[in-house]
Amino acid sequence: MSTLRVAGSSIRLQLLELARRPSFVVPTMGFPALFFTLFDLQYARAYPHVAGGMLLSYIAFAIIGVTLFQFGIGVAVDRTLPWERYLRTLPAPIWLRFASRIVVAALFALCSAAFVVIVATAATSVRFTPGEWLFIAACALLGAIPFVLFGLAIGYWTSPKAAVPIANIFYLLLSFAGGLWLPPSMLPDFAKAISPYTPTRQFADLLWNAPHGFSPAPLAALAGFALLFAAIAAAGYRRDRATRFA
Amino acid sequence: MNSIELCDVTKRFGAMTAVDRVSLIIDEPGVVAMLGPNGAGKTTTIDMLLGLRRPTSGSVRIFGIDPSVARVRERIGCAPQQSGVPESLRVREILEFVAQQYPRAFDVSQTLSDFGLTQYARRQAGVLSGGELRRLTLALAFIGMPDLVMLDEPTNGLDLEARRGVWDYIRAYAAGGGTVLLTTHHMEEAEALASRIVVLNNGRIVRDGSAQEIRRSGTRRVSYVDSSGSKIVLSTDDSDTVVRELVRSDVAFSDLCVTGQSLEDAILSLFEEAV
Repeated sequence: MSTLRVAGSSIRLQLLELARRPSFVVPTMGFPALFFTLFDLQYARAYPHVAGGMLLSYIAFAIIGVTLFQFGIGVAVDRTLPWERYLRTLPAPIWLRFASRIVVAALFALCSAAFVVIVATAATSVRFTPGEWLFIAACALLGAIPFVLFGLAIGYWTSPKAAVPIANIFYLLLSFAGGLWLPPSMLPDFAKAISPYTPTRQFADLLWNAPHGFSPAPLAALAGFALLFAAIAAAGYRRDRATRFA
Repeated sequence: MNSIELCDVTKRFGAMTAVDRVSLIIDEPGVVAMLGPNGAGKTTTIDMLLGLRRPTSGSVRIFGIDPSVARVRERIGCAPQQSGVPESLRVREILEFVAQQYPRAFDVSQTLSDFGLTQYARRQAGVLSGGELRRLTLALAFIGMPDLVMLDEPTNGLDLEARRGVWDYIRAYAAGGGTVLLTTHHMEEAEALASRIVVLNNGRIVRDGSAQEIRRSGTRRVSYVDSSGSKIVLSTDDSDTVVRELVRSDVAFSDLCVTGQSLEDAILSLFEEAV
């Protein structure tokens, strides 16, 4: 068995499953671009100096959505399926499924963010140089890690039914409090007070500064969040294993 | 090398003992049926053999290796539960995905035809009927040419014709040198397929042998008509002795008849004994 070949077809099958559910994929993927168009596009056009920041906020919004849904809801649903149990009896190592989930989520997030970029590029004057895009992509990738772990924590601690509202509530509340829709200075007082302590705000800070390079403070904060969520996810994983595969 | 070796295996879930000090060695190819009522410990035993669960005590070996070790999985096959097959994937895609994980595997088109699935190859699993899905899951158990196939109630939900087809396939597979361990609560299935039947009840092995041996092990009925014309029926574990005594006692009798019991009777009496 060539592990690489099995990984390739595992990814291919997961993509096929997605492609055959366009009524799920298209709205999910286009949601951040739609939100951007409805709520912030007019401001991005009226105030070109903040348009870049808004675009980066919505890239974060797109990535966070994919991570929470793919890893939160996805894991919560899959771990209870008999199919997942069957895969454990096959020769391919079980981490392969997880690795291919990461690749699929990354592609999904890339498409979702690309829609935002396309809308912003078409309708506003915001432009980044290739060098700036490189930093943005690197920061987006690094900043996504704690949210993948956050998604896993939701996935291993909630039932398939509960995962959907829970992932959505965290998604929307944290996006709001993190200043992804309204800049932090325009948030209501209570949100302004908690904003700096949210992982979304740290991710936004990282991305807002990304065209100029890596900023150490949000990176450190995100690393802290990653450790916290990893611990919660690992405890949930162990609990899940102990109940279903003991 | 023993394909299966359970040594004094106990599995508890909290206060409930699902498998109770079971020892079992399967050392030659063929079909072995695990027979027992619901809750007898059949599925838990299979789960431990598949490495999905760990015994509370005792040891489980597949080809001499702990079943949680990945490389042993190249030599075993099992069928997923029907409800779990990804609905949007096509029959052929699912078979190919599983086949490619094994070092050697049957040709996918051949397997499709063996299980009567050729015309469904391009269908998505979600639109298959129960029987078609069942045949797909069974095909998945065999496609990797495993030395050992473990099937939990393989013919549930199949009509008579499909059931016979699956039986033929299983028999041929065993005749070709494979070992098939299956669970069932149909006596008929165990009798039709298995060269060896392991009867489980309340987590224990209560009998282990060929269908014939198990049938012989239970009680038999000796009946005759005595001189007054009334029919006498005796139940006994040892019909030979009863008949010998009868002849020796010199009473007149006619219509002597010794009936063995069906496998079903034999097994039911085993369960009654155990209660």
